[in-house]
Amino acid sequence: MVDFPPSVRHRGATPRPLENATGVRLRRAGDLAKRLLSNPTTVFGLILIAVMLLIAIFAPWITDPNTPDPYQMPRDWGAVRMPPGTPGHILGTTNEGGDVFYGIIWGSRTSLQLSIFVVGSTVVIGTIIGSLAGIMGGWVDEVLMRIVDVFLSIPELIFALAIAAVLGPSFTNIIIALAMVIWVKYARIMRAQVIQVKQNEYVDAARVMGDSKLNIYLRDILPNAITPVTVQATLDMGNVVLIGATLSFIGLSEAGIAEWGVLVSEGQAGIASGRWWASTFPGLMIFLWALAFNLVGDGLRDALDPRTEGR
Amino acid sequence: MQLRDYILRRLMILPVLILGVSIVVFTLTRVGGSPVGIYLSHEMTPAEVAQIEARYGLDKPLPVQYVNWLGGIFSGDFGWSGVSAAPVADVFPLKLAATMELAVSAGIVAVFLGVTLGTYAGARRNRLPDHITRIVAVSGASLPLFWLGILLLIVFWANLGIAPIGRSDAVIWDSIAHPTGLYTIDAIIALSPTALWDAIWHLILPAVTLGYGATAIIARMMRSSLVEELQQDYVDAARAKGLAEKLVLKRHARRNALVPTVTVIGLTFGFLLQGTITAEIIFRWPGLGRWMADSVLRGDQATLMTYVLFTSVLFLFVNLIVDVVYAHLDRRVTLGD
Amino acid sequence: MLDAPRNAPVAEVNNLKVYFQAKRGRVHAVDGVSFEIRNGETLGLVGETGCGKSVTGRAFLRLLPVPPGILAGGNVTFRGADGESHDLLTLSDAKIRAIRGDRIAMIFQDPGKALNPTMTVGQQVSEVFLQHRSKELLERAGLASASGPIQRHARQSERIFDGLLLKLPGYRRHRQKLQSALNAMVCEALAATQVPNPAKLIDRYPHELSGGMRQRVMIAQALACNPDLLIADEPTTALDVTVEARILELISELQTARGTSVLYISHDLSLVRRICDRTAVMYAGRIVEIGPSGDIFRDPRHPYTRGLLAAIPTQAAPRGGLAAIKGSVPELIDPPEACRFAGRCPFATDACHAHDPELASVVGEHSVACFIHYPPPSGTRPSFDRETA
Repeated sequence: MVDFPPSVRHRGATPRPLENATGVRLRRAGDLAKRLLSNPTTVFGLILIAVMLLIAIFAPWITDPNTPDPYQMPRDWGAVRMPPGTPGHILGTTNEGGDVFYGIIWGSRTSLQLSIFVVGSTVVIGTIIGSLAGIMGGWVDEVLMRIVDVFLSIPELIFALAIAAVLGPSFTNIIIALAMVIWVKYARIMRAQVIQVKQNEYVDAARVMGDSKLNIYLRDILPNAITPVTVQATLDMGNVVLIGATLSFIGLSEAGIAEWGVLVSEGQAGIASGRWWASTFPGLMIFLWALAFNLVGDGLRDALDPRTEGR
Repeated sequence: MQLRDYILRRLMILPVLILGVSIVVFTLTRVGGSPVGIYLSHEMTPAEVAQIEARYGLDKPLPVQYVNWLGGIFSGDFGWSGVSAAPVADVFPLKLAATMELAVSAGIVAVFLGVTLGTYAGARRNRLPDHITRIVAVSGASLPLFWLGILLLIVFWANLGIAPIGRSDAVIWDSIAHPTGLYTIDAIIALSPTALWDAIWHLILPAVTLGYGATAIIARMMRSSLVEELQQDYVDAARAKGLAEKLVLKRHARRNALVPTVTVIGLTFGFLLQGTITAEIIFRWPGLGRWMADSVLRGDQATLMTYVLFTSVLFLFVNLIVDVVYAHLDRRVTLGD
Repeated sequence: MLDAPRNAPVAEVNNLKVYFQAKRGRVHAVDGVSFEIRNGETLGLVGETGCGKSVTGRAFLRLLPVPPGILAGGNVTFRGADGESHDLLTLSDAKIRAIRGDRIAMIFQDPGKALNPTMTVGQQVSEVFLQHRSKELLERAGLASASGPIQRHARQSERIFDGLLLKLPGYRRHRQKLQSALNAMVCEALAATQVPNPAKLIDRYPHELSGGMRQRVMIAQALACNPDLLIADEPTTALDVTVEARILELISELQTARGTSVLYISHDLSLVRRICDRTAVMYAGRIVEIGPSGDIFRDPRHPYTRGLLAAIPTQAAPRGGLAAIKGSVPELIDPPEACRFAGRCPFATDACHAHDPELASVVGEHSVACFIHYPPPSGTRPSFDRETA
């Protein structure tokens, strides 16, 4: 069969000047940023995240706690059950005189701590275990993956609830429980990625050239396998706050802590008497937090996957 | 590989996974200390405590305790529920019926709505149905279920006063027999429209709360897989045969887009199961989820263990069914790892 | 049936323009293409990937992704065996559907992708009969005067409750009769493509068949209603060379037997030379040369065609002149008024960059769009003698 010569078939036949690895990576990062910012919903998510972070960072300047432990809701017993718009309590107060606005502001700090700690630790643990399984193969892989399978058999929230229940009601225990549940996801993603990347020719080339295993892993495998982990981690920054707030709502945090799920739960008692504000505002914050990271995570996935372009 | 062999192999792995889950559950509850706490009072002496521990075999080594617990489960003894002051095995079926009625109705609505929304959105990209679906999909994944429930209660219960709370009206409940424990089915069996209406009326808000997120997940998957299918050559080939656009969409593209959606519907089941916990708390629904939450807060371990074990087994079976259905729908799937 | 004179065109494309909206402007994928397909002939449409040949072929069935595809102008006139002529681009949806699959059919490049993976071969081929031959089908089943639901079932236009009705015992028997008549028709169509054991093939899924078998199913489906025109979009590209030969033979046999005209779209020059009566060469959305295949391959007149032919391996130069054409295809976003090939043409002069050459007859039916063969409105006229490469 006769085909057109290569010069005819391919457009832009002039070869690009050779670039070093750093150059390629920089150019790719630039492309990625451009694609991310061309999607309006992603930009909206990024702005939302920025606002949330600013609130969390500047919480002490926005509302001064005046108490030894700022993460405990200060109580104003002279102003219980005040509606929004009350002087000194813009968003109203709870049954116990907690200021809803204060809870929202400091709740962003609690949520940020939760998401950073849970996602940070599980990404590290999951990546290490997944990489070990993927690289070593054999019985190591077999044992690790069967453990992962068992963990994945128990629905996420129910598993976290059970662990938190056993550890006792406290916000710290919620964080630990979530970390114990979430890591398996990353282990599984990472293992699949490592196995896939391992089969690439450049990895073989590095092996032939006598690079050490650790070097090959750090330089050739890890950077190429980590992409789906970053997408999942972005999505999870929002999801873990959602699950954490659910556990708090059920009652697995200390009472009185400035955490959105706890506030929604405390406000629930008042809705029968028309006090809608104490649940509504903190819940809105949980929603916005999760929404922001979901939007950015989706945008990131689309930007990394050229197939979805133009959808 | 044949479909039959695949199912057999999956069925063989299942007991191993269930055994693994049971070990995890058992280990977990023992980490928190002796489960004897629920039986104790302040006046008991250490000797009396030891006596109670001995009575329940809690002085034996952990592996022996595990085997005893597992043996108990096989003989139908799931332990004692302190919250309900009754054996777990007695209370469980009643609570399960309540939860299933809620979860299944939410699931049916979610599948129907999700597939419909996703189809419209995928077939009419960037038009109104697509935008609505996008809003539902994005918000559904981020909306805290318990907050949505509370918002609905604020509007429909506290302010408008049209929605009820709980599972049924006590007077109406007393008026008919309850052979299945599923109130809608019971009402149909009793041929009582009042009872049926009452059951559905109580079901609507919790089902909407629970089903919203699931709808979002399904609609989103359906939309993206339909968009993908519509770009395939066989769709143009179907058009080239002269088929009407409706038929191209219904018989060709939508059918194939449903294949990956089935997988997501399976995942949604786990989502619904988890969601019942908060939905039941908010709407005072007397199901497994609320029972579990109460038990957790009071350190009632027998209930906790049973619940986790049960939901995991259910979850595993649903996943197995989904995989088999998927393999059946998509002939191209090579069954294997 | 009216017997049209052998040389009357079955279809005429006139100044067809198809654009695609891209972010940076409009891509002129097909930009003023005109040609005719004569009764019973095989017209080859050759060109490289992205030159607009597939888009042109699909225009006959109006299969363009509408947006972002824009029908920017021109018309495609189709004159079927019934003697009526239609402008395919402005026809109502119902009318174009009546033509699709019945009067004009299409074979796709990759039969693995063009067959629905979740439907059996029988289901897919029978769709054509249900769509266009429901009357004949009902007669063959002895159900010509059957009641509404059966009639609608045979036309695949069931109403909401028909599905339930058809499950009733009385209808069920009728439906079975209909199904066996349908199966007989499908078997005949499959048998025409020389597949072994067509009755067995009906219940198979596409993935269970070889590439050649799949393409035979596609052909059976396309020729089921004896179309006047067959659009074959690279039907053998995805196949092995040995299978390719047999498929080509099959198409040409069926074509001769039924008097079908064929538009054969391909990037494979030697193949087109072998099977096509006439050949049109496309470059960057334009036809640059068209004429009887013999003339074009013996005496190519456009520099692009010459370059292409020079690239074909011959006995004298087994690897062909691989550097035959320098440069690459221009971007087709809002192209300037100039010869599209000027940037790569070794003979180009200032005139070629300032004016757009039109197709003009050189010898008889052999037409070329190049200023070498007629004087440009202004500037230096290029010539094969002044080779500057």
